[in-house]
Amino acid sequence: MSFRQKLLLLFASTILLCVAVMSVSVYGTMRQSFEQANQDRANSVAAQFRSEFQRRSQDVARKVESIAASEIVQRMALEINRSASSVGGDASGYLSEARTLATQQQLDFLELVDHQGTILSSAQWQAKFGYPESAISAATGPADGGVFLKREELPNGPTLGLFAVRAAHVGEQPLFVIGGERLDQGFLSTLDIPVGTRVLLYQNLDAKWNPQSLRDLNGPAAGADRIAPLVGKVRATGQDAEGVIHWTGDSADAEVFHAIPLTGPNQQLLGVLLVASSRRPLIELQRRVISTAMLVGGLGILVAVLASLWFAARVTRPVISLAEAARRVAAGDLSAKVEVESSDELGELATSFNRMTEDLLHQKDRAVQAERVAAWRELARRLAHELKNPLFPLQVTVENLMRAKEKSPEMFEKVFHESTSTLLAEINNLKTIIGRFSEFSKMPQPQRQPTQVNDVLRSVLRVFHAQLQENNRITVHTELADSLPEIQADPDLLHRALSNLVLNAIDAMPQGGDLTLRTTAFRAGEFIDRVAISVSDTGSGLTPEECERLFTPYYTTKQHGTGLGLAIVQSVVSDHGGKISVESTQEKGTTFRIELPCGAPQHSQVAQG
Amino acid sequence: MRQIAFPLLALISLACAAPAATRQHYGGTLRVAMQSAPMTLVMPASSTPTDYWDMARVLSLVGDNLVRIDAEGRPQSALALAWQGDSTARHWQFTLHHGVKFHDGTPASAAAIAQTLGALHPDWNIRASASSPNADSLTIDTETSTPSLLAELALPRNLILTRNAAGLPVGTGPFRIAEFQPGKLLKLAASEDCWSGRPFLDAIEIEFGKSLRDQAVALELGRSDVIEAAPQAASTSPRIRTSSSLPVELMALVFASNSKAQDVRLRQALAFSIDRKPIQSVLLKGAAEPTAGILPNWMTGYGSAFSTRTNVQRAKTLLADSRQPPLALSYDPRDPHAQLIAERIALNAREAGITVQVSLSGAEDIRLVRIALPSPDPALSLRETARQLALVSPVLHGNTVEDLFQAEHALLDDDSVIPLFHLPIASAASARVRGWVSDQLGLSNLADLWLEDSRLEAPR
Repeated sequence: MSFRQKLLLLFASTILLCVAVMSVSVYGTMRQSFEQANQDRANSVAAQFRSEFQRRSQDVARKVESIAASEIVQRMALEINRSASSVGGDASGYLSEARTLATQQQLDFLELVDHQGTILSSAQWQAKFGYPESAISAATGPADGGVFLKREELPNGPTLGLFAVRAAHVGEQPLFVIGGERLDQGFLSTLDIPVGTRVLLYQNLDAKWNPQSLRDLNGPAAGADRIAPLVGKVRATGQDAEGVIHWTGDSADAEVFHAIPLTGPNQQLLGVLLVASSRRPLIELQRRVISTAMLVGGLGILVAVLASLWFAARVTRPVISLAEAARRVAAGDLSAKVEVESSDELGELATSFNRMTEDLLHQKDRAVQAERVAAWRELARRLAHELKNPLFPLQVTVENLMRAKEKSPEMFEKVFHESTSTLLAEINNLKTIIGRFSEFSKMPQPQRQPTQVNDVLRSVLRVFHAQLQENNRITVHTELADSLPEIQADPDLLHRALSNLVLNAIDAMPQGGDLTLRTTAFRAGEFIDRVAISVSDTGSGLTPEECERLFTPYYTTKQHGTGLGLAIVQSVVSDHGGKISVESTQEKGTTFRIELPCGAPQHSQVAQG
Repeated sequence: MRQIAFPLLALISLACAAPAATRQHYGGTLRVAMQSAPMTLVMPASSTPTDYWDMARVLSLVGDNLVRIDAEGRPQSALALAWQGDSTARHWQFTLHHGVKFHDGTPASAAAIAQTLGALHPDWNIRASASSPNADSLTIDTETSTPSLLAELALPRNLILTRNAAGLPVGTGPFRIAEFQPGKLLKLAASEDCWSGRPFLDAIEIEFGKSLRDQAVALELGRSDVIEAAPQAASTSPRIRTSSSLPVELMALVFASNSKAQDVRLRQALAFSIDRKPIQSVLLKGAAEPTAGILPNWMTGYGSAFSTRTNVQRAKTLLADSRQPPLALSYDPRDPHAQLIAERIALNAREAGITVQVSLSGAEDIRLVRIALPSPDPALSLRETARQLALVSPVLHGNTVEDLFQAEHALLDDDSVIPLFHLPIASAASARVRGWVSDQLGLSNLADLWLEDSRLEAPR
């Protein structure tokens, strides 16, 4: 990972972390606010319920008072007082009175009860005449004005009502009027319920949980069994309870329930009011916040990346320049310089780098000078060596001629003829030596053309075929890559270079051995960008010192070599933009390896041979 | 009949001290309202008492029986002048009025009557013969001893009626059918040459399908002259007179054959839980007689042998350690008191731990029914009641009261029927109606009425 990427990652991570911390913080605050708002809403509805309860209580009390004071009830009370028996049979005339009065006052429940607590007339259950009204004893206390919740038995089952009791005092025995209104979904419908909130009422009329007793504005509430545990908690404790109910897998469909117990005069639990607040607004807001946070975070990260790119580029530009210069230096370009743009540590580093490259350049120049001097010395030594050999016969022949002229003139003619032949031969030898040096200095420039390396190798082998046949102790192995691509090269120069390598290999194996020629293709991505040629022998090998000096002109390890063969090979390879290397192990052999660029992109279609 | 009725009516009229001392006179149309809405003029085989009595009243205006039975169960002459049965009560011989004709002019001869009765009773062997030039004779032979034959012949279903081309009944009674609109209206015209004499009224118009409330309103507004009334309804208006019959209806709880109350203890517990007294005093306003038997006491004399005492504790004891299903109780919605009575019974049952749900819909386990007791003859009424309640036919081993009690007791033994009350039939008439007397058996005496202002009829 580059320095710039690291910087980018650091910046992006920092911003992401900041956005995440901010989102979590906002989410937490918002959640807390919504919980509080939910609680406030539930409290508001509960307060409204109590207020409505109070209002309806007053309304019921007023209606019951009105009935108790009505002429009909007063007359009825009077008649009952006059009657010796006010139970059962005497009720026949009042059977429908309660229903008539209840209809007039729009009460759901109304019973006229004598002083013994016996029902004389019942609006809600006409057949109940003659039965005792259990509420009378309980109601004797609140009869002065109190209103209470009461379980009321009806033909189709019990229900819950809001009741008031008033007495008509005409004569000695009072006549009680017990009136009330249902506490059911009709009552709930009178509440002003906020949006997102609903109210349910559980009438606690059975010993066990009864889902039919849980009602909302539309009747029996759906999903009652899911609410049962919360109601059960209130039934068990008699205290307020709260819970969250998830209706579906979508958390937005959940509701927060606040359960409030409703009790009768003796604190018995008669009902449970449930205020349900939908979590949808909260969840949707949460989702909006999250999506906004993600959008803002994403944009922030994008901006941060762009800013980081700019900033990192600004910060890393000197470093990158330095790295590039270092790479050039490593590649041998000691002229690489770094532009010094600042006076900080990076500027100081760049200055030091430039100073270092200048030092290296000077050292290289000095090394080249030294090498050049060494080469001249080697050249002089070789020239001296090469020229000394023919000069010595020339000197001896000329001295023979002089000695024959002086001491044996009669033999002079004969000696002269012999000596001139020798002189001419040595002079030709000198010409040959000079010609070779001249030829090395006149190495031609390669004439590039599409060249199949395998074909060149085969051609070289054909040239040496006869020689290899004579010396059949050498076994030739060819490992040529199939369908090796053509490269841009001069086939004649390549032939000459490879011939030198093959000849060296043959010379290195006077006792025989294995000669191996191998070609390989190398690819960069989907293209073949270079080919490699290796020539291996199993000769005696070279020492490391010999390997180092092997390509120096006029250096040879052979008895009669000129030391120009491998220099020519290196010159040819270099002129083709390639490189040559040698690997050698003493007593095992030597391998020369040439890598040549293809010169143009070659598609990958080569299998290793 | 008229020869006997006239002096009697005159005496009653005088006794009533009606303003009344107006003389009987002919003419006028009597307007009658009824609850039932018959589509055909045929005695229903099984129906509510209202439908039964309404149709009986209508058809008894058109036709005659061979004999009548009075409130004491004594046979009275009708189309038959005299009768005689042998000691086995299997062979009966009747001497008929001579010269009686149906409204269409055909003679109501012994052969015609034998044909009519034969169609009604194919198991009887009925033969007609002319015993003398002025009297026809009819012989009835039954396979088994039939001591109640005269009571049977006095039933409305045994009215001697034929049918005209329109399917309407043609009889020998004081009125003939002038117009019939099924379910709505029946117009009867006086039979000028009735064998028992022309009735005072020129016509009777009967409006069907009127509720008791509508009938009461119509009577108050002078739109009807005679209406049906709830037994307990006592009018405070001096212009309206009411009359009630003897208790000729049975109100009872009947368990359906597929009832969930298969456990006899449950049925017994329900019977013990019912407190009849408040229902009788408050809901029925004292008009009914609480009963635990099928036949009314006036008919048998042993009504008190069936106890009506409520015993909730006994009911609870019976149901102890048993889990009983809730029962659905249905009632006749046309009966204005049935719902309240049913609810009261449900309330009583709840006291004993029995859940009874009053409902008009769904499968019923118990029905609150009213059954007409068609004859003052107890044996015949017991058989008819058993038939209508789908009980096994009672077995009477003799003609004694003990035999009757044993048969009735056997019918009630499994508590599949819980008798509750015996109810009378009540009627009301406006002041313009004269000759109005209480009919003990529930059949009207419309044929014997006349109208005070018949010459100046009230506008319709």
